[in-house]
Amino acid sequence: MRLGVGSQLRRNLITLLVLAVVYSVIAMFVTNSYYQLILTLVPVWALFGVSWNILSGYGGQLSFGHAAFFGIGAYTVTLGMVYWSLSPWLGIPLGMVIGGLAALAIGMPTFRLRGHYFALSMLAYPLAILYVLQYLGFQEVSMPMHREHAAAFMEFSQPRVYTLIAVGLLVAGVVISLVIENSRFGLALLAIRQNELAAEAAGINARLWKMRSLVVSGMMAAVAGGFYARVLLVVTPDSVFGMLVSAQAVVVTLFGGVASVWGPVIGAAILVPLAETLQAELGTYLPGIQGVVYGVAIIAIMLLSPDGLFWTIRDRWFTRTAAAPIPDVGSAPPSPRRAALRTDRPLLEVENVSRTFGGLKAVSDVSFSITEGEILGIIGPNGAGKTTLFNVLNGVLPPDEGSARLAGQEMLGRKTFEVCRMGVGRTFQVVRSFPRLPVLDNVIVGAYGAGLADREATASAVRALRQVGLADQSGVAAGQLTNKQLRLMELARALAGHPRLLLLDETLAGLGREECDEMLTALARLREEGLTICIIEHTMHAMMRLADRFVVLDHGRVLATGLPRAIVEDASVIEAYLGKKWLARQNA
Amino acid sequence: MDLEILIENVLNAVTAGITIGAIYGLMCIGLGLIFGIMRIVNFAQGELLMLGMFASLYLVTGGKILAFLGPYWGPFIGAICAAPIVFAGGALLHRFLISRVSGLRTVGSLDEGHFGQLIVTLGISLILQNGGQIVFGSTPVAVRTPLSSEAYLIGPIYGGATVFLNKAKLVAFFVAILVAIVLYLTLEYTRLGKALRAAADNPTAATYMGIDVDRAYRIAFGLGSGITAIAGGLMATYISFGPFVGFDYVIIMYSGVVLGGMGSILGAFWGGLTVGFVQQFSALILPPQLQNAAIFVVFLMIVLLRPQGLFGRSAERA
Amino acid sequence: MLEVRNLSVAYGGLRALADVTLSVAEGRFVTIVGPNGAGKSTLFKTISGVVPPASGAISFAGENLLAHRPSDRAHLGIAHVPEGRQVFKTLTVQENLEMGAYPKAGRTKWAHTLERIHTLFPILAERASQLAGTLSGGEQQMLAIARGLACAPRLLMLDEPSMGLAPSVADLIFERISQIHREDGLTILLVEQRVAEALERSDHGYVLETGHIVLEGPYAALLTDDRVRRSYLGLTDA
Repeated sequence: MRLGVGSQLRRNLITLLVLAVVYSVIAMFVTNSYYQLILTLVPVWALFGVSWNILSGYGGQLSFGHAAFFGIGAYTVTLGMVYWSLSPWLGIPLGMVIGGLAALAIGMPTFRLRGHYFALSMLAYPLAILYVLQYLGFQEVSMPMHREHAAAFMEFSQPRVYTLIAVGLLVAGVVISLVIENSRFGLALLAIRQNELAAEAAGINARLWKMRSLVVSGMMAAVAGGFYARVLLVVTPDSVFGMLVSAQAVVVTLFGGVASVWGPVIGAAILVPLAETLQAELGTYLPGIQGVVYGVAIIAIMLLSPDGLFWTIRDRWFTRTAAAPIPDVGSAPPSPRRAALRTDRPLLEVENVSRTFGGLKAVSDVSFSITEGEILGIIGPNGAGKTTLFNVLNGVLPPDEGSARLAGQEMLGRKTFEVCRMGVGRTFQVVRSFPRLPVLDNVIVGAYGAGLADREATASAVRALRQVGLADQSGVAAGQLTNKQLRLMELARALAGHPRLLLLDETLAGLGREECDEMLTALARLREEGLTICIIEHTMHAMMRLADRFVVLDHGRVLATGLPRAIVEDASVIEAYLGKKWLARQNA
Repeated sequence: MDLEILIENVLNAVTAGITIGAIYGLMCIGLGLIFGIMRIVNFAQGELLMLGMFASLYLVTGGKILAFLGPYWGPFIGAICAAPIVFAGGALLHRFLISRVSGLRTVGSLDEGHFGQLIVTLGISLILQNGGQIVFGSTPVAVRTPLSSEAYLIGPIYGGATVFLNKAKLVAFFVAILVAIVLYLTLEYTRLGKALRAAADNPTAATYMGIDVDRAYRIAFGLGSGITAIAGGLMATYISFGPFVGFDYVIIMYSGVVLGGMGSILGAFWGGLTVGFVQQFSALILPPQLQNAAIFVVFLMIVLLRPQGLFGRSAERA
Repeated sequence: MLEVRNLSVAYGGLRALADVTLSVAEGRFVTIVGPNGAGKSTLFKTISGVVPPASGAISFAGENLLAHRPSDRAHLGIAHVPEGRQVFKTLTVQENLEMGAYPKAGRTKWAHTLERIHTLFPILAERASQLAGTLSGGEQQMLAIARGLACAPRLLMLDEPSMGLAPSVADLIFERISQIHREDGLTILLVEQRVAEALERSDHGYVLETGHIVLEGPYAALLTDDRVRRSYLGLTDA
């Protein structure tokens, strides 16, 4: 559990409890059996939406096939009852387990895909199962009735009991989702959703977290499906594996508010009664009105309020202006890795690195070294290969040739998050923040990535913010920061992982004179604290003041290395920047 | 004896594969224009197919508009005439809904706007499917032509093997090929076609050239819709359909386009043809319900193993 | 012919251009030089309409350019040869040129323009049916320039044509651009990093640094001004 979220979590849990009690009380007073059914179905679909939200909302992995898990739960319970007289009290947990296993089986191949390919492929699974079931003859399966021991088979003459069970299941699901949301699990998922590459650079093993979220999501969806079968008593392949089922998870969550546990609840509470009532009233003249309602709802929300109702309402009426207090973590001891080691040993040795990119040799036989505690500036005209070099060092691209050693350990060819764990922090040219989360949370991602436990992670993040001078903005939502503050925050995120080496990519771009000075002061201070920095920049006047040494790249090759004053007088450098004729003219 | 039957089955599967495959190929060209070239993920493509079927049905039977052409030619001309109707529908969809989540607006964003496209087109798909159920009813219908129950007989060859060439499917085959050729020529050689390809290749540079990229995308989307609709109208002559028929073909279409390689119209056609073949051959060994499951397996294997397809011009991999 | 007044542009959250004023008279060859990140490309993108300005005015041949949609500006006679060439990789060389001639002015004079292009860049005639994506960097640059010429423009804007090219190839490109200016009297606005090559062929130059015009003047004056070097290499205090 992240530090400092306690009060927010408590608030959410209390809200949840209150809502659950109110809802249950209302259910007691409803007598019409059809409305009772609707009251039972709303929490079921909400639970399904909550499960989808874990994978696709928090994690951003859009799945169009969640009916697979829903249906697995439904059929496990139903077939369990029919063939083995297995009570749903056992059948639902069993369905949950099978759902989890299915998630593992589905996740392993499918997570190799991204984006729309992932979404479309997820679509294939429930439909394949649907066709197989139809082939096997399971057109319609009804659950047998049990007169004796009815309760043992989750059979109640009072429909209200089902409602209570449904609410109970939803409460459990929401609690799980809240726990995830407020722990490193949730933060890792949000980081992956926002920018998987930057998350990996901050040390997060994206593949592992995506798989975990799929398993949890699948298990929860299976529970929803299992209970759904119990309530409806009859399952057909289409009613639990069909496209409309998968669509309902998507629509309910997106409509209500994606990436928030309340979103699916709100969405289900509004859309399910609406669709069901319309279906009941107008179903004979307008069959399929349900699907039309969902379709219109989802289009309307995407065009008008793409993040969903919850966020729109919250942003408009509940913007928090005051900065939340920083959690008290006491004075944390300095990180062991950064105990000042100001030797003159090289920290990073790059040897003969080459990399082709887009048909060109973007990086060609590049060698240089950085000593500990030094600030090295990498400069060169546009297109010189500087960012590609960083991408190779960082693990985003493997090299064609060459090696790079960090304190003696080879770092090329590893996965990005592994390089981060070795002690390399990186910032990117375009800052990616989580605009709705407070600054502190944005920075904690970096600490989690480095593998720190909750308390240390928060302490580390707080310290990083102090180092860059953003401590007073800790509680402000990142979307409200200025450009300079965003860059400082990104710097803090990289620092929170206790790196030994910082790779900064155009940190000063677009900053005004004063803002630039502030960044420079912050960077100089970091060097004093023992950090080694390698920075790509174009803003030459700033680099002149900051860097100890320069490496000049041109067309992928090292043109010159040396002290700043020498470099700007160097003929080959002038030629690279200003052109041969300029140089000739000056010398003539 | 068994060998003869096997040969007969195989030969019939081959001819069915070619004829049906050509229609699938046309269907995939429609999606290829939208997904392969414009990189718009359109989840509602199956519904455009369905609309083509119903448009053809109403043109031929309901409105009696084409009744004068008689039952032999009517359905096929109806299929072609369905195109402008669905073209207009597709263009409208693009203008008001899809352009908001694609084109210049989303160039350079992390996922090129695919999330929004998937969701919005999912909504469109739901509305069209269920709305279709309201408007058209759910009784299966077809655009009957007497040709669908007549066939040319080739053979007997190799003993007793006879190949049946269903006449309706044969005519549909030729129509499909014809339309595909016309489209290809339009894209390759006309100023409009080149402008469409340029706008899809590089929308920013196309704007510098003076091409209205939004309008180009709209036309391309309409074309893609119309072409798929023709395929639908042709399919209507030999299958019976209802408002939910589109969904069965979405995965077939995506399989075909991805197999043929993104960005290639010819590729989309060959991809569709191949998928049609696979489906007809799988009918030899698999029962009908599992044929579609087989297509899913094929789709998964393609995106996992060879996402650049057979003729692809770019690799879209994780 | 082209007048930019007090233009300020924010792009990608950064302040790309601040209060920029410059003008290009008809028939002149004007160059804008400056180090990386100075905002040179943003200027062109704003003129072409792909990036909206925060404030300021642009007029072309007396018309308020900002009142025209981006895809209409080419029809007014502005040709933009983009940074990084941006040829249509999946179209052939000939088709690229045809797209360049998309506006009406291009089509009416097509035969004449094509001949001129083939004279300037014979390699394009040779490779007419080759896919543009398979050309070398230098050939693509020639194609991009030819594409710009294809619409018989009144103003030709070139964005860093030498980027990523070997020096000898870049020199050839500059030669051709000069030739076009001399022989056809075309108004040219050139943005470049290579100062001398760019300036010595032009009539007038501007130096852009972090979004501001810091120097301007006739080329002879700029060429001998050491402030240009200092600006590039970050040695200025301003």
